[in-house]
Amino acid sequence: MRRRQLSPATGWLVVLGGLLFAVPALAHTIASDDANFVLGVDGPAILPFIYLGAKHMVTGYDHLLFLAGVIFFLYRPRHVVQYVTLFAVGHSITLLAGVLANWQVNAYLIDAVIGLSIVYKAFENLGGFRLLPFQPDTRIAVFVFGLFHGLGLATKLQEYELSDNGLVTNILSFNVGVEIGQVLALSAIFLFLSAWRTSSSYLQHAFTTNTALMTGGFLLAGYQLAAFFLVPVYL
Amino acid sequence: MESNGQPRLAPSPRALLTACLTAAGIALVVLFAAILPAEFGYDPLRIGQLLGITGLSTGEEQPLENRLQPHRTDFVEFYLEPFQSVEYKYSMDVDAPLVFSWEADDELYFDMHAEPAGLGEDYAESFAQGTAAARTGSYHAPFTGIHGWFWENRSGRDIEVRLYTAGFYYNSTVFSGSVEYDRELDPVSSTFPEIVP
Repeated sequence: MRRRQLSPATGWLVVLGGLLFAVPALAHTIASDDANFVLGVDGPAILPFIYLGAKHMVTGYDHLLFLAGVIFFLYRPRHVVQYVTLFAVGHSITLLAGVLANWQVNAYLIDAVIGLSIVYKAFENLGGFRLLPFQPDTRIAVFVFGLFHGLGLATKLQEYELSDNGLVTNILSFNVGVEIGQVLALSAIFLFLSAWRTSSSYLQHAFTTNTALMTGGFLLAGYQLAAFFLVPVYL
Repeated sequence: MESNGQPRLAPSPRALLTACLTAAGIALVVLFAAILPAEFGYDPLRIGQLLGITGLSTGEEQPLENRLQPHRTDFVEFYLEPFQSVEYKYSMDVDAPLVFSWEADDELYFDMHAEPAGLGEDYAESFAQGTAAARTGSYHAPFTGIHGWFWENRSGRDIEVRLYTAGFYYNSTVFSGSVEYDRELDPVSSTFPEIVP
């Protein structure tokens, strides 16, 4: 591949795109206004839940960081689709099962695992598993972590009292929304990475970038673990 | 699994270990120096206190708020003739709480408000006003200053107002007509030990 300098126009596009995602990505859980909306819903509300699902994925920076790690070294669209589909199937299974079967899992622990999923992917990107006796099949790992991401999504949705009336329709709609949000977020991330990949700095800095990604994963995992131990539960 | 055929990174074991430890190290530092103190009020290394961010984002109300001096309680009665009014205020620091119950023989006009210290009436903030024969609740001083009530008897008969409070205030001031005088209020305990924070 011929390396060329990043053109100024692309540079601006990348920066603006990044900013666009940085601001809403600050919110992670369903915002309180949306919570009020969900509380008041009785019966199927397909489009609103599609919107909520999409919003949740687009602002879920832990999900986005994992995805960024997954596609960091995936250059062909075919491979991107393959891995992201594994992830999507995984999180869909647990999102639906978790909410419909009313699984009670500790959200902080799940979110900590999600943080560790980012650490795992960054470690793998760094070539870490070459130095270890075993190498997990990346596709299986992405699927399994997808299951955990889906559990995380489920716990957020369970925090709000969903009316039984139209529950299945609404959760399916939420899941569709999550996939739509995922496609949107992934496209933006992929565009950003593609733009960056035209520069030789991408591979030159890949080691540092993935170390930074690992740091982010540790920060998230640490934060969630701290919450698990420090946030009092009033029964 | 390199199903995509793209070369991955191949660092030396030492470089990899350095990267992982650096990542974990940075995360630990940021967590204990900033995030845990600010978000959870958890500050075992006292760094958050040094930076002044402990408890910054813990949420509006912590269940427990320890203080250094014991609280005070107060009971006061005002006898208001028709169209007579009185103001009664407590000196309180910002964030100090007080609980109150006041009752009167009949409905009268009231205004619960506060004035920031040193700024005067123009900067007063009113929290509730209306006509009632009683009110009870709790109050959290949003700023340092004087905080309390204005009562006005707008009926044709004498009304007695009784106020019961407990809280972390220092003393109170009565404003009646053109007269203004302080009431000294004692803490509930005179034998309370000194607390070193």
